Amino acid sequence: MEVRNQLSSNLIYWVSRNIWLIIASIFGILFYFIPAPAGLSIEGWRTIIIAVIALILIVTEPIPLPGIAFIIIILQVYFGVADANSVSKAFMNDAVFFIMGSLMLAVAIIQQGWDARIALGIIRLTGSSTTRIAFGFSTIAAILSSFIGEHTVAAIMLPIGLTLIRFTSEDKEQTTQLSALILFSIAYGCLIGSIGTPSGGGRNVIMMIYWKEYGVEPLSYWRWMVYVYPLVLLQLPLLAWVLRSTFKPEFSRLDSGVRRLKVQVARSGKITDQQKLAAFLFLVVFIGWVFLSETFGLGIIAITGVVLYIVTDLVKWEDINKHVNWGVIILFGAAISLGVQIKNSGAAHWLANIVLNSMGDEWLNIPIVTDSIIILLTTTMANLLSSSATVAVLGPVILNLPGDAIHTGLVATIVSAFGYFTAVAAPACTIVYSCGLLRSKDFLRAGWKMGTISIGLILVYANVYWRFLQ
Amino acid sequence: MELRYQLLRNLLYWLNRNTGTIAAVIVGVAMYVLPKPDSIDIDAWKTLIIAVITLILIITEPIPLPGIAFVIIILQVYFGIADAETVSNAFMNDAVFFIMGSLMLAVAIIKQGWDVRIALGIVALTGNKTQNIAIGFSIISAVMSSFIGAHTVAAIMLPIGITLIRHMSSEKAETTQLAGILLFSVAYGSLIGSVGSPSGGGRNVIMMIYMKEYGIEPLSYWRWMVYVYPLVFLQIPILGLILKSSFRPEYLKLGKSIRKLKLQVGKSGKVTGNQYFAIFIFILVLLGWVTLSQKHGLGIIALTGVVIYLFTGLVKWQDLNNHVNWGVIILFGAAISLGVQIKNTGAADWLSLQVISVVGESLLQNQGVSDVLNVFLTTIFANILSGTATVAILGPITLNFPGDTLHAGLITAIASSFGYFTAVAAPACVIVYSSGLVRSRDFLRVGWKMGIVSIVVTIIYANIYWPLLK
Amino acid sequence: MKFLIAIGSKEYSEPTLRIGMRVAKAFKASVTICYVGPKVSAFSSNVVRLAQENLERWEMELPGVDVLEWAFNFLAAREYITPNIIETGFQKNMLIQSSGSRSELLLQGTMCKDVRLILRSGDIIDELRDEVAQNKYDVTIIGGSQKRRMAHDLVQFIDSSIFVVNKFDYAMRYGLLVPVNDSKSTPKAVKYAVRVAQAFDIPVDLVTASRKEEFGESYKNASDRAATMMRRSGIEHRQHFKVGEADEVIKKMAGDDHIVVMGSSTKNPVKKFFFGSKQIRVMTDAPFPILIVK
Repeated sequence: MEVRNQLSSNLIYWVSRNIWLIIASIFGILFYFIPAPAGLSIEGWRTIIIAVIALILIVTEPIPLPGIAFIIIILQVYFGVADANSVSKAFMNDAVFFIMGSLMLAVAIIQQGWDARIALGIIRLTGSSTTRIAFGFSTIAAILSSFIGEHTVAAIMLPIGLTLIRFTSEDKEQTTQLSALILFSIAYGCLIGSIGTPSGGGRNVIMMIYWKEYGVEPLSYWRWMVYVYPLVLLQLPLLAWVLRSTFKPEFSRLDSGVRRLKVQVARSGKITDQQKLAAFLFLVVFIGWVFLSETFGLGIIAITGVVLYIVTDLVKWEDINKHVNWGVIILFGAAISLGVQIKNSGAAHWLANIVLNSMGDEWLNIPIVTDSIIILLTTTMANLLSSSATVAVLGPVILNLPGDAIHTGLVATIVSAFGYFTAVAAPACTIVYSCGLLRSKDFLRAGWKMGTISIGLILVYANVYWRFLQ
Repeated sequence: MELRYQLLRNLLYWLNRNTGTIAAVIVGVAMYVLPKPDSIDIDAWKTLIIAVITLILIITEPIPLPGIAFVIIILQVYFGIADAETVSNAFMNDAVFFIMGSLMLAVAIIKQGWDVRIALGIVALTGNKTQNIAIGFSIISAVMSSFIGAHTVAAIMLPIGITLIRHMSSEKAETTQLAGILLFSVAYGSLIGSVGSPSGGGRNVIMMIYMKEYGIEPLSYWRWMVYVYPLVFLQIPILGLILKSSFRPEYLKLGKSIRKLKLQVGKSGKVTGNQYFAIFIFILVLLGWVTLSQKHGLGIIALTGVVIYLFTGLVKWQDLNNHVNWGVIILFGAAISLGVQIKNTGAADWLSLQVISVVGESLLQNQGVSDVLNVFLTTIFANILSGTATVAILGPITLNFPGDTLHAGLITAIASSFGYFTAVAAPACVIVYSSGLVRSRDFLRVGWKMGIVSIVVTIIYANIYWPLLK
Repeated sequence: MKFLIAIGSKEYSEPTLRIGMRVAKAFKASVTICYVGPKVSAFSSNVVRLAQENLERWEMELPGVDVLEWAFNFLAAREYITPNIIETGFQKNMLIQSSGSRSELLLQGTMCKDVRLILRSGDIIDELRDEVAQNKYDVTIIGGSQKRRMAHDLVQFIDSSIFVVNKFDYAMRYGLLVPVNDSKSTPKAVKYAVRVAQAFDIPVDLVTASRKEEFGESYKNASDRAATMMRRSGIEHRQHFKVGEADEVIKKMAGDDHIVVMGSSTKNPVKKFFFGSKQIRVMTDAPFPILIVK
């Protein structure tokens, strides 16, 4: 009896913890037996079921992310959508190599202690006025993140920002507004910048892969920058304005903090040979990204960089192994393999058709309307899931909409960076949120303004500026 | 001056530590620059260069394994043998999923604490005589390892063995022979067993992938057991005899430590519900392997098991993440992609032609002669590299030997477990060696007997028994 | 001052530890005792760790921990650590992992603030070099080794003074032999020699070797300056001037009843790597303990 009670209480505990898992499975089983709607193949229907299950699980996270990734993989096989080998083939591609490589590069840069030096560099330029420092932080974050990925930059900049805040006042109560200002400058700066080049984020590369799948010649590294970089620069002053109107920092100048930061950098001594080498190698990788990515692929170049760092002993594999989030890499791989299936099985086409039919053709032929639909869809998803997952899942659907594939694809990729509203959507937001100085409602408070402005801006920008480029 | 010396010293240190890297670079450049043999295609030649570099790097291990994996990947792209997409597609396959899954299952299984039960079970069956216990150890190790892999078994059995040894005497010098016989029973027993079924080791699964590449239908799980399992049973009594002749245990009866072992087991309480459940899940996975692996792939089923363990909370992702060696997984992925290239570019053809022209075509037509060559080649490599790496790189070549492809493949898979001679190659041997209770020269002392007997038995077995099965 | 004592096993490392602690005491140095376990191939490193965690669950101690325990008992028996720590005994669960392959146990010392016990695994030269680079030790103390290559690598790559405790015989009455010449590294070696001589209360032989019959002014001055240092510190000493190759002379004079203290080589490291140095030549197959001061 005793044992039985024990067992049932355990079971109830498990069920209550995993309620979403159960809902997802019930949903899956239910829909598995419902016949596919007309116009959709059985594989397509099942792929959509898997996608919905994956969405439910990613949003509610009843089990760790890699577990979800495994579910995506095994369901594809068990549902007969693809066999083991084709799933695993779709699982690994250049984008995954790239994500893996850039996460590893980030570890190497932080290990070499470049973060404090960057901080001092920023302050040298901005002086010690709070608003100017905040602007400096967001600019640097944006510029850096457009090349090395938002999560890397957020991880590099967070300790810098925190150091500055702590040096200004030890009392957390006295610096809530200041912390918010600085940390949001970092997080949103990273988000804004991450669209600037293909190497700014995994999702950009994912989009390039999809373009190739759809037979569209992807943009080159340089061409991408021509298309998108002006938008990054346009958004920066807007960000500064939004943040200034939202947060009123307690200190208008950060002299004491700046002074202590200078002392700290001075104490760590001159730039060592190793640091120089690390910076040089990164430069090499960057040049490779710009000039060679079309021949060899972004991922291969990122991995070459990792090899160089490992061979020169600038970073230890143990550190990489410990700091790289392998679960995220596996999840990316799984999401991409699902995305490929969505396209191959015809599910994407079918979904796009539904949207088309409900809207009417004449409306959809107006680019602004298509863009608005994409933006709405992508922003919603990007704030619920991670931005890369959004692009991975929505990409094939969006590319099936009428209109120029480069245009629609780019809009979707750019908008997937608008994860301003929640603390969990974009990695950069999660990273700054993780330090505990922000409240989650701050994200909504600053995010809705930023989101509205950005959406308005992109609509105009895409339909005016890109016209000239073609 | 000081600074320059410091720099020089660092450089020298790096060179001194990285002789392997330098050798690889020199050999690679030399092969690249020197004229290639006329009879070989340029792509095949380049693939061979990468293979040679890989071998040098794996043997000398100057950089971490994933570094080597990345070198394999990027060289394939830079040499123009394959583009990023092809490489990354070949990188992931069912075998890599299986290796990942089985490493994770190993963690899950070891964390359940079944070892206590196993210990009691063995002792109950064998009584307290040292010889009997040793045979019991090797049988259990062999049987278990043919399903869950040699490394898992070695990790589970090691504490049992050491408990028995330490409780007899805490002085190392008084138990060297006892430690030898018990621990070698575990190490060699699990090596012998690991060939018994496809899930006994990643190398078996890799071999199945290669067989598929060569267009022959791989054996089903059950059929593999029919082919190989009798060999496992043949080898166990031989192992018993060899160990008996090599070690003279100081204690003929282990009554004293068995009493203490029972005491210790008593402390850990009754079998819990969780443990039953964990066994149940594992049996499910096993059944899945036997019945479904043909359809869904071994890797997918292993991952399913992992997902169920994660779902039920029997193992935490954190544990998996920390204990799974991601570097090894990446390396095997890269090695397999290289293996596929070796075959596709025709390098394998060319190499086996060279062998044939040396040995003589007429001789090699004899299956027995071909087997001898195959076994010796594989055994040598298996004692330098890990068995899995051996199969990944050597597999495409031995499959090209004249004679039956299935036959050759199985021989390679079996011989890759003959890592008896060194304490560095086979994971099971490394685990036992890491206990500090056996010396590395013991591996050679006992291993050469075991190796010779195993080689002879395997060749005779294969040429008498397998033809009967056709 | 910080000293690092590298030990290998209970059987062979007793002299190293004993002499090491005595020298460290003379310098009032904080001491770190380090055991480097064998390198595990990366293919198996994770499964080996898994197996070892399993061992821990069975309350079996890990290889290497027993060596540290032995070192702990050694320290306790000679009261190098404070009584209350001796009372608690060796607690292996206090061994805290500080990075991938390094675990550390901090003890309170009697002669200086702290004594650390460290467990590492990997290639011994790599690990010692890393340890020295991380924690900036002044002297590394290590037992003699049969491997010629190892002595060479130690002198070449480890960035601290090195004391190799070769063939130490407790029954023997040792003297100190200090080679002296006009190089930059000599004065520091003499300073160390003074401390060591005081600690062991033994006489010092200052030897100056020259290839030529005649001894240059600078050589004589160097020897005289060293002698003055010894006199001021009240150490019994003699000056010797010998003709011949320095390493031959040193080996001959040292016999097996001297501890040699010499300055490190000031040669270009590349030359040193390929052609060796006086220090390396003295050190290989030396039947006496030798301290090379950097």
